[in-house]
Amino acid sequence: MTATLAPGSRKAPSLMEAARGRSLWDDAGRRLIRNRFAIASVFVLGFLVIAAIIGPYLAPYSYDYLDKTHVWVPPLTGGHLLGTDSLGRDLLARLLSGLGVSLEIGVVATVVSLVIGITWGAAAGYFGGWLDELMMRFVDILYSLPFIFFVILLMVTFGRNFILMFVAIGFVQWLTMARIVRGQTMSLKQREFIEAARAVGLSGGAIIGRHIVPNLLGPVVVYVTLTIPDVILTESVLSFLGMGVQEPLTSLGTLISNGATEMELAPWLLIIPSILMVVTLMAFNFIGDGLRDAIDPKER
Amino acid sequence: MSRLRGLGLLSLAGALAGLALALAGCGGDHQTKALRPPCPAGKVCLELGNDGDPNSLSPLKITGTYEDRLTSDVMMGLTQSAANGSPVAGMASSWETSPDGLTWTFHLRNAVWSDGVPVTADDFVYALRRLMDPTQASEYASVLYVIKNAEAVNNGKLPVTALGIRAVDDHTLEYKLEHPAPYLLELAKHQTMFPVPKHVVEKWGDAWSQPGHFVGNGPFNIVSWKLGDHIHAVKNPLFYDAKSVCVDEINYYPTYDSVAAEKRVRAGELDANGNIATNRIAFLRRPDQMPAYVHVHTYLGSSYFAFNEKDPDSPFRDRRVRIALGMAIDRDFITQVLDHGAVDSAYTFVPPGIANYTPPTPPIWTTWPLARRQAAARAMLAQAGYGPGHPLKFELTHPSSPTALIQMPSVQADWKAIGVQASLKQEDVQILFQDLRLRAFQASWAGWIADYDDAMNFLYLNQTSSGVQDYSDYHNPTYDHLLDQANSEPDGKKRAEYMRQAEAVMLADQPIAPLVFQVNTNLVNPRITGWVDNIVDQHRSRYLCVKGVPVVH
Repeated sequence: MTATLAPGSRKAPSLMEAARGRSLWDDAGRRLIRNRFAIASVFVLGFLVIAAIIGPYLAPYSYDYLDKTHVWVPPLTGGHLLGTDSLGRDLLARLLSGLGVSLEIGVVATVVSLVIGITWGAAAGYFGGWLDELMMRFVDILYSLPFIFFVILLMVTFGRNFILMFVAIGFVQWLTMARIVRGQTMSLKQREFIEAARAVGLSGGAIIGRHIVPNLLGPVVVYVTLTIPDVILTESVLSFLGMGVQEPLTSLGTLISNGATEMELAPWLLIIPSILMVVTLMAFNFIGDGLRDAIDPKER
Repeated sequence: MSRLRGLGLLSLAGALAGLALALAGCGGDHQTKALRPPCPAGKVCLELGNDGDPNSLSPLKITGTYEDRLTSDVMMGLTQSAANGSPVAGMASSWETSPDGLTWTFHLRNAVWSDGVPVTADDFVYALRRLMDPTQASEYASVLYVIKNAEAVNNGKLPVTALGIRAVDDHTLEYKLEHPAPYLLELAKHQTMFPVPKHVVEKWGDAWSQPGHFVGNGPFNIVSWKLGDHIHAVKNPLFYDAKSVCVDEINYYPTYDSVAAEKRVRAGELDANGNIATNRIAFLRRPDQMPAYVHVHTYLGSSYFAFNEKDPDSPFRDRRVRIALGMAIDRDFITQVLDHGAVDSAYTFVPPGIANYTPPTPPIWTTWPLARRQAAARAMLAQAGYGPGHPLKFELTHPSSPTALIQMPSVQADWKAIGVQASLKQEDVQILFQDLRLRAFQASWAGWIADYDDAMNFLYLNQTSSGVQDYSDYHNPTYDHLLDQANSEPDGKKRAEYMRQAEAVMLADQPIAPLVFQVNTNLVNPRITGWVDNIVDQHRSRYLCVKGVPVVH
């Protein structure tokens, strides 16, 4: 019956497609696209990231160039689109470089927290028992350290530098990540596929790497989008207290802090960086919110 | 359960906010009182801002103006600052000088310590011996090297008993000097010449200056000290002139951020605070702002950069590097544009207006336009081996004050223009000066305010014998010798000429790069009376009062 073979073979691709079905991630993606705020935020954030990366090369002034003839001028004067600060530095150039620094700190500190947090949490959750107790009590102890105090100690011991800020913030952020991951791991390890993997004879490390971690991605991705703005805010707090980035380098927090001291005299120095900060944080939060709704519809 | 508790907290917060609003709505006067700590009925209370928390209350351990402000309210030397800053009789009621100017005799008044024990000449002798004792390592000892044998004693070469001070009897004190010092009465109001309560120091040792043990002879007594929060003092009823003191209670608050402090003064939370951010003076003087609060006066103060030459590998050991850095700074941009003319550009170290002194002509490059100076600086750096391929890199330490945050990035940009990469490091003012004394810095901002109105008080800083206060670790025998000659010269004109030559020698070497001559600025609530602007910026609380309260002076 060669006749039946032909249509069957023609049908094969579409059958296979149907067999692949819609994965959890496909569903999530579809739900995310339907969330207008989240999609708009993705575009806004994409624009900001591109601006922060290539903007400094396109801007007419460097972030540390002093225009000695135009000091403290309001927006749209003397060739400065957004005006200059009290030293005659172009606000647009400083905004772009500050945004870059803030995003950089946000991403790097989050990655630091992600790596430590996932490893720690997954190990504690999977192995359980006294190891879990020990590891989580360690997390509790670190939690109890006041953050600012911890940062001051680090600064005093190692001196002030940029890398240390990433490390300091990342070191505090991983604690929450570890707790979330541990909880998820504890429920995952009761599932059948883990039992199957164990029956096949996989080692603990391999199970964590190949089966636990990929299944953790949902909550972790959501948490990451919420951690980045948190880190940016933390950096701002440190900069506001004078422990953040050092002049002439700047960040959104530093710009706002400097702007706040001059707010009656030069309101644009406070308002414009604040708007940019709010937009960035909102974009991250909307994306995080959208992702959570998309990945975990039960939570809606 | 948790949600309910959250609601409870919310409503509590709401109620508190409402209460605060209601209080604030009661009218101007109540509004300011709500922000201040309670003041007992019928008493006069002052809330004063101070630029830093002191390291100690002991007059032998302190160096900063923010420490002097406090210690001089609770202790007193032979003379004291009048409201206008000039020295007037303090613990001494009268004094005489020998014809050669080398022996001074002070007659003490009948005064007691705040625990009732009489202040005697012996307390002065004890204090000076303690100050000069090498084991005490007092940082400020060198300011009194004018006293006979002081330098040798401080260096451990002679016993403390060899010091040129003697208690003739309980109420007569005699000083012998190395050389005539017309400024001794100015020095006598300085904390280094204060007496200390011998009976208390012997009982507690170094801990004597802590609140609880502390005993003073000034118009006020320390009651409590919350580190980083405030220091509380009350009127000393045993002070010899207590009846003339108007204020009953004072709180001193460390105000590192002068812009934040400015807001507290505006709100009535603080009665006075020093150091207005210089770029804000023009704004605050506007009629719709707080013109009646702004006090600006000439000051005997210089800001400068110190280049640490101590480390054998230090790039600043090369004179060309220091001169290039000094040349490249666009001081006029800082003083005229950034600070709106509130301060003056400095090319020499001793500030103008100091008594009996004519500063030397500044180096010739100071007359060149900036572009020519930058070119010359680049050429000098190239000679010293620095260039685009091998840029000079160092860390510049500066205080975290708003004024410095405006000035330092500007200097950094000027240096960048000649290919120098200076990274900025901000520190609290106590840490900064500690780093300077320990030489734990590469280049640093530094400031010096006169202790007495004499050029020597500035020039001695770079002399080898001033020890830890020679921040740059500058050692030039010619300079040291000229200052020694000035010290032993009885004729005022010749003495000034030696000092002028010394300053010229030092400026040619640029161990320090002068930046600006300071002004003293204070924000004072117009309801405060008795405040007199003066060249030393000393405003003792005993002269202050509040409008409407009669003064007994």
